[in-house]
Amino acid sequence: MPFVGEILKHRSVSIVGLSKNAGKTECLNYIIKRLPLDYFTVAVTSIGIDGETTDQVTGTAKPEITVREGMFFATSEKHFRQKRPLSELYDVGDEDTALGRVVTAKALQEGKVLLSGPSGAEALKRWMRSLKDFGIDLVLVDGALSRLSTASPAVSEAMVLSTGAAVSANIRDLVSKTAYVVELIRLPLYTGPDPELRVSSFSSLDAAALKGNRAIEVEGALTDRLLQLVKNGLGEGEIDLVVGDFTKVFCSQELYRAFIRRGGRISVRMKSQLLAVCVNPVAPNGIVLDSDILCRELSQKIGLPVYDIVKNDYEI
Amino acid sequence: MKFREIVDSPCGIRYLFDELELQSGYARKVLLDREMMTDASRIEAAYATLRQYYDLVVTDRRRVEDMRFRLQGLRDISGTLTGLADGAMLDEIEFFEIKHLAMLAESLQMGADMDKVIAILDPDGLKIGTFYLYDSYSVELRRLRDAVESDPEDAQLQEDLANEEDRLKKMLSDKLRPYAPTLRQTLQALAELDISLAQAVQMHAEGLVIPSLGTGAVITGMFHPGVRAALKAKGREFQQVDFAFRLGVPATVIGANMGGKTVALKTLCMLQYLCQFGFALPAEAAVMTPFDDIRFCIGDEQDEKTGLSSFAAEMQRIDKALEAVERGGRVLLLVDEPARTTNPVEGTALVAALLERLADKANLALVMTTHYTVEHAGECWRVRGLLPGTKGRKMDYRLVRTASHEVPHEALNIARELGIDAQWIELADTIMKKRYE
Repeated sequence: MPFVGEILKHRSVSIVGLSKNAGKTECLNYIIKRLPLDYFTVAVTSIGIDGETTDQVTGTAKPEITVREGMFFATSEKHFRQKRPLSELYDVGDEDTALGRVVTAKALQEGKVLLSGPSGAEALKRWMRSLKDFGIDLVLVDGALSRLSTASPAVSEAMVLSTGAAVSANIRDLVSKTAYVVELIRLPLYTGPDPELRVSSFSSLDAAALKGNRAIEVEGALTDRLLQLVKNGLGEGEIDLVVGDFTKVFCSQELYRAFIRRGGRISVRMKSQLLAVCVNPVAPNGIVLDSDILCRELSQKIGLPVYDIVKNDYEI
Repeated sequence: MKFREIVDSPCGIRYLFDELELQSGYARKVLLDREMMTDASRIEAAYATLRQYYDLVVTDRRRVEDMRFRLQGLRDISGTLTGLADGAMLDEIEFFEIKHLAMLAESLQMGADMDKVIAILDPDGLKIGTFYLYDSYSVELRRLRDAVESDPEDAQLQEDLANEEDRLKKMLSDKLRPYAPTLRQTLQALAELDISLAQAVQMHAEGLVIPSLGTGAVITGMFHPGVRAALKAKGREFQQVDFAFRLGVPATVIGANMGGKTVALKTLCMLQYLCQFGFALPAEAAVMTPFDDIRFCIGDEQDEKTGLSSFAAEMQRIDKALEAVERGGRVLLLVDEPARTTNPVEGTALVAALLERLADKANLALVMTTHYTVEHAGECWRVRGLLPGTKGRKMDYRLVRTASHEVPHEALNIARELGIDAQWIELADTIMKKRYE
């Protein structure tokens, strides 16, 4: 039962897909199936509109989440009314989303639900705080595509990343893209003195402004434009760019590598904990990659075990 | 007039609204939708309630915090209650909302018949705030649920189960329907409780007072909470000010630049609104009187957006206020430096004429700041002004009644104290003397 034990050491874990159909939902179902619910009270929710029955982009069927008896789940009013096992209502929030308010309930029997929880990282944090009276030990968050912010250590303590053929049909390319995200997730914690220079993605910078600074605090997003400016102004010696956490880095891999080669470094104020990487070798367009090769190559590159949970269906 | 319409008044009442620690979004909505009170007895009743909760804040803060913590669970379920009253069949989410409201009310000893509502939605007497269609509602429900669980693919069983659930939902809705009015009252009462407790806590924290009501306004030690907070952030203190006004006697406020005339006028306006919406007042003590109409004429950034010149906007604003005075009813009119943007000759004439035009209005209380010397039959107040020898840094902001309506010629003194170009200022002094002596 790989990595489920790791998950239980945390109070909140988000499951994030590198793209649509990267196998995130299978990954979440895999975890839920193996949770020791006799000892743990678990709540599961999703962020944004990721609980649609069909994938809005490709139209492929999107499996629902299976909740087990005794588990809490949070979803929108609309989806709660549409489909659920017999469940006991615990809370109806007062923030309206496109699909109505967020309903928190406990499943009284196993069954499928459509998950569509709080719509944004801040609302998610508020929802998590609202759970405090229900005695919940672990919150699992189904993080939506383009909502990487769910994985921010400010929201959840740890994360599981799922990637797959939907990201790229070429194993080398897929490994490279995934390894880059893993590298960002593992950016080191900044431990130096507070930088004097603070910049944002709108700042204008030149060599003169950067001179003499060993570290620069980045407020908000680190964009290609900002990284390019810093790289261009880089003189001799090392420089540390300090960002909030890895979800604030929006830079292309090429530019990031060039920056590192020039002696730059990026570190974070809050570090994420990556518990596992799962792969889905099947893409929605029918392409199937060799699961064993994919797992091996990716594992070698990132130095972490990689799981194809569908193929191997590890024991419960 | 609703609170929503004046919350962004240039008097700055928003500061106290923003600082008000309401526990629920619904209470915020109820407060914004509250109508301004114009009747003295209603205001006094509101203050009597506030006084009770203020005493509770002082004597039993823990109980207050416990109540406020519970009120965090207050939700706006007015839509559900409307549906219930109109005969709709409610679903689980709506039953949950009603049970949640009833249990919240009962825990705060509010509302009538809440125990009966809870009994309908808590058939097993579990006394917990959760809800689902309990098995104990019918033997048939339980039988069908067991059957569906052992044979989940049987469509007929599923349909039977759905039908039985619908029958029970309708039965529960019918049982709850007679309680729709009391539930609605309870919802409103809980929002009012949230507002009153927040006001009482604010009264304690900001040092506000409950005024008594009389025929005119007499205010001791008033302050503007927003300005006071801004000054405090800079390490400075707000100097509290006394003032009084009454119906039928126009009052003008004159005094040096930077003397706090506008802030005083804003504070008066805020005090009046606060009183008529049942808030405690930022002052040491106050006698207040309610008005049917409160008019605050001050230039603001809205003028630029509408494309009117500041003069035109101001004239129209005062014109509307004059109409209100003519319509009757008690009017409080607060005007900040009328006609200040035009030439002083016409400006003085406009101000003098305005005072004359409004001189004998028994239904009007008028307070006007001005830089123009205008004789009138009403009262004149003056900012004490600059303290000598302080290089323009120390101002006595207090207001005093004065017999002379002559505006103080302090601008040049202030400029001197500020160390402005001496040649320029002395030249101005010479011109002044030539013209007036």
